[in-house]
Amino acid sequence: MPVKIVKKEDENSLTLERILYTKHYTLSLDRSRCIGCELCKDACPKEAIKIVKPENLEAVSESMPKKITVTVLEDKCNFCGICSEICIFGAFGQSVNGEVWVPVLKSESFPQIVHEVKVDVAKCPPGCRICEEECPLHLINVRFNGSGRVSEVNVDVDRCPGCRVCEVKCPYDAIHARKILTGSIKINSDICPEGCRRCVDACPIPSVLSISEGGKVVVNDLFCVYCGACRNACPVEGAIEIKRMSIRHAPVKSGAWNKALERLTSTEGMVKELRSKSTSRVCDSVRRLRVGGRVRR
Amino acid sequence: MSVESKPEDVRIGVFVCHCGLNIAGVVDVKDVVDYARKLPNVVFAIDNRYTCSDPGQEEIKKAIKEYNLNRVVVAACSPRMHEFTFRRCVAEAGLNPYFFEMANIREHCSWAHPSHPKEATEKAKELIKIAVAKARLLQPLEPIKVPVTPTALVIGGGIAGINAALDLAEMGFKVYLLEKKESIGGHMAQLDKTFPTLDCSICIEGPKMVDVARHPNIEIISFADLVKVEGYIGNFRVVIRKNPRYVLEDKCTGCGECAAVCPIEYPNEWDMNLGVRKAISVPFPQAVPLVYRINRDYCIECYKCVDACGPRQAINFDQKPEEIELKVGAIIVATGYDIYLPEEGNLYGYGKYSNVITSLEFERLILAAGPTGGHVVRASDGRRPKSVAFIQCVGSRDVNKHPYCSNFCCMYTLKHTIQLKEHYGDDVEVYVFYMDMRSHFKGYEEFYQRAREMGVNFIRGRVSRVVEDPKTKNLIIYAEDTLLGEPIELEAEMVVLATAAVPSKGSDELARLLNIPRGADGFFLESHPKLKPLDTAVDGIFLAGACQGPKDIPYSVAQGCGAAARAATILSKPSVTIEPIIAVVDPEKCRNTKVKCGICAMRCPYGAIKAETGKPAEVTPAMCHGCGTCVAECPADAITQMHFTDAQILAQIDAALEDNPEDKILGICCNWCAYAGADLAGTSRFEYPPNIRIVRVMCSGRVDRDFVLHAFRKGAGMVLIGACHPYDCHYIDGNLKMRVRMDALAKALEKLGLTPDRFRVEYVSAAEGVKFAQIIREMAAKLKEIGRERIIQENEKLRPHLERMLSKRR
Repeated sequence: MPVKIVKKEDENSLTLERILYTKHYTLSLDRSRCIGCELCKDACPKEAIKIVKPENLEAVSESMPKKITVTVLEDKCNFCGICSEICIFGAFGQSVNGEVWVPVLKSESFPQIVHEVKVDVAKCPPGCRICEEECPLHLINVRFNGSGRVSEVNVDVDRCPGCRVCEVKCPYDAIHARKILTGSIKINSDICPEGCRRCVDACPIPSVLSISEGGKVVVNDLFCVYCGACRNACPVEGAIEIKRMSIRHAPVKSGAWNKALERLTSTEGMVKELRSKSTSRVCDSVRRLRVGGRVRR
Repeated sequence: MSVESKPEDVRIGVFVCHCGLNIAGVVDVKDVVDYARKLPNVVFAIDNRYTCSDPGQEEIKKAIKEYNLNRVVVAACSPRMHEFTFRRCVAEAGLNPYFFEMANIREHCSWAHPSHPKEATEKAKELIKIAVAKARLLQPLEPIKVPVTPTALVIGGGIAGINAALDLAEMGFKVYLLEKKESIGGHMAQLDKTFPTLDCSICIEGPKMVDVARHPNIEIISFADLVKVEGYIGNFRVVIRKNPRYVLEDKCTGCGECAAVCPIEYPNEWDMNLGVRKAISVPFPQAVPLVYRINRDYCIECYKCVDACGPRQAINFDQKPEEIELKVGAIIVATGYDIYLPEEGNLYGYGKYSNVITSLEFERLILAAGPTGGHVVRASDGRRPKSVAFIQCVGSRDVNKHPYCSNFCCMYTLKHTIQLKEHYGDDVEVYVFYMDMRSHFKGYEEFYQRAREMGVNFIRGRVSRVVEDPKTKNLIIYAEDTLLGEPIELEAEMVVLATAAVPSKGSDELARLLNIPRGADGFFLESHPKLKPLDTAVDGIFLAGACQGPKDIPYSVAQGCGAAARAATILSKPSVTIEPIIAVVDPEKCRNTKVKCGICAMRCPYGAIKAETGKPAEVTPAMCHGCGTCVAECPADAITQMHFTDAQILAQIDAALEDNPEDKILGICCNWCAYAGADLAGTSRFEYPPNIRIVRVMCSGRVDRDFVLHAFRKGAGMVLIGACHPYDCHYIDGNLKMRVRMDALAKALEKLGLTPDRFRVEYVSAAEGVKFAQIIREMAAKLKEIGRERIIQENEKLRPHLERMLSKRR
């Protein structure tokens, strides 16, 4: 029986289905959540994810979104679920026979990415909604009890990229968020084109990037989540440099993760993590490979 | 014995047979003998009542000694009948067996012209003259002996290949069993039950698979492809590429712990893509060899399997494809069949409607170890269907798809209906739409009766279309009930298509590698449909099972065992003997040394000729079948076919056209079809005019255009080339190559002024005596109509052109 693979794609969503007689796999992408970064593309072990930009998009379909997003190549995807875990914005979801199912998590072939936001409600003053108002992705919902005191602060953690805007803006030290990705971002002002604000528009966190008086872009490292959406949007190669150092995740021992980590951060980043796991044998072999001038992917 | 007897040394004895009254009743034998005696180089001529009898043969032997004969001509029946007998006879008298020639004055003369005794006698004389002309130029030949490697390669590990391998191994020969997939077992391992006894398929095949794996004489090479085959009978050199499994065969214990931790699933092709398997897995639990395989197309390289494998260290991601070379004496092809999937055009809704499946998919559904655990359920809603309709002959017996009958579909459908009835009883309605119910062979008809008694509804008629009810996903079948003679409409919850069996994927590539022909249906072609059903056109390569045409299990098993026996006839001897009537290249004349030619290598149907740049072409004697196609094609006339040399054939033509050529039809016929057809015309006593003179060649591919030109130069009234029908050539396609050559020649001759009817190329099979006689009658009538005068005129006009075209030769 021919394997039925159905791909449906429009402005708001993408679903890829693999329908077998006994099993029905679904991978879905919520395009309203996708901000056009490159984490999933870098993490995908089968190179099944492609960045699509609006300029070369119109040729594909008119109903496609007018922003940078990703698409999944149906002939390469093997429904491993890595994309749905690595997406820090929670845009991907995978299910089998209608139930959420990410096979790589179950087998620990890929780590759970740790999204962490802690709220100490006791410190919240009555009637305060600062965090809810400040959250750039609108993931926080503050509830009050009858007397006007904060009873609950709901945070949609799975979609939180960890920008820490809420923590910084909270005057009462009541909310604490941890960054998922750490690293650095740099703008090469020499080549940054004047008058262009594509990166600013692409960045999901306002106030990370802004236009200076000289018309050039400046960066506020404090809230950056190092997703790389700005770099994708930038028309000049090399104008934005992002280096990721680490990714917060549950401990696993997996080749697929090591490779994803190498692609997402750098070979050093991977070596560092491996060393911290005290698997020196692996570190040495990686170093040897680098000395030999070859880095195996 | 002198190797190159000069004409004056040649001493020919002619023996004319009465064959009781078969010859003597029409032909004046005494007159013929007197005539023969006067032919040049004939030193002795005599008539016998029965030359083939013991006293007749004794007479030949005596005459050889007494008259110091060094060539023998027997004028009697067809050489297809007794050439071998007389060759042995002259060999016993101490002559080279190839110093013998026959004149066919029975089938081609006395039996064909009984009402014209005078003309028949004249024809007999000329036939002897033709034979003597060839005999004068005969050369001694020695049979070619080649050593045999006593090992065999069996390609394909289905039930036919398994049996072939086991039998050969039991006989004591080393066998390599090559399987393209990961496990041997073939289609039989996919089946649930087998008809008509309903035994569990894997339960009876599984032990055989294990026997193969355990047998000390068998080496299974699985997950491997055939890359190259060179050589010839007894001496094949085979290159095989073992594809990487990324799991080491000698270290994998088949425990399956790796598969348990693997996160990735992909559709299992072995389950007809109904179920899934892990990226590291075996296709089914009983696989042989039980070695896991990583599918790198799906693997994400998390190395969880490496951890699970632990100290066994069976997993190696760096494994590379490996090429191995084998030397084998015989090859058995048992590559089986594939199931036709009517996706294209969504025949009967397959691929479009989820509840339309093929029979092999149904097989996986009803199998207890299958993806649904043996529950027949619908893909649309997972519910058990209350009514199932089976549609027969989907793609088979259909001129638009595959015209042949796929042989086993009727029986497996009966099996499925009985299984459904056994599982669910009256809870399921079963319908079978059939064209004819073909239940031949032992126990099959009883099986059909059993299905009828269990309440299966049989409807005779072809289904026109199947439409899905979009709500219920049920299927509405439109058909004609040809027994009631009215259209019917039937709703079923599931439709099962009995699709055609087609040649397995890669058959074309394999045919090219092995140089074996395929029929119009794409299946491999046997050497003879009745008497050599297991042989191919290439000596030393045999067929077994469904690769030759769809076959059920017992038939495939029988063929596997039969092919093993056929292969053993070669492997059991230290050497094989090959008839020496092969092609030989004269390296002096071969122009491949100077220019890039290689035409002979290109035209050889057997790939027996190698023409490397700058070197003269070379014939591998053991691979040459002696058709002579290369001889006729060689632009430099550098190739000679032993026993059918240009000089011999031209001498025969000369002899045939010495007297009154304008009245004669010169025939050049291939041994296997046209010549045999002429024999049959005689045997059947179909009379035809006696002005045809036939020269025999092994294959029509041997017919050089110079032969035709020479015949017309000699003044021939007409020329006929008789060949096998297009796909019946005994040398694969020598006849087609002749056809191309002759079509071009016919056009050229017509341009030069030859009446087109004077040159004909005809396909006559060995069974077409009537056709042969008819052709000669037509040609003779036409010859008369054109008239002597015009022929002589035409020939005069043609002669300078022919001389020019032939000048290259002499």
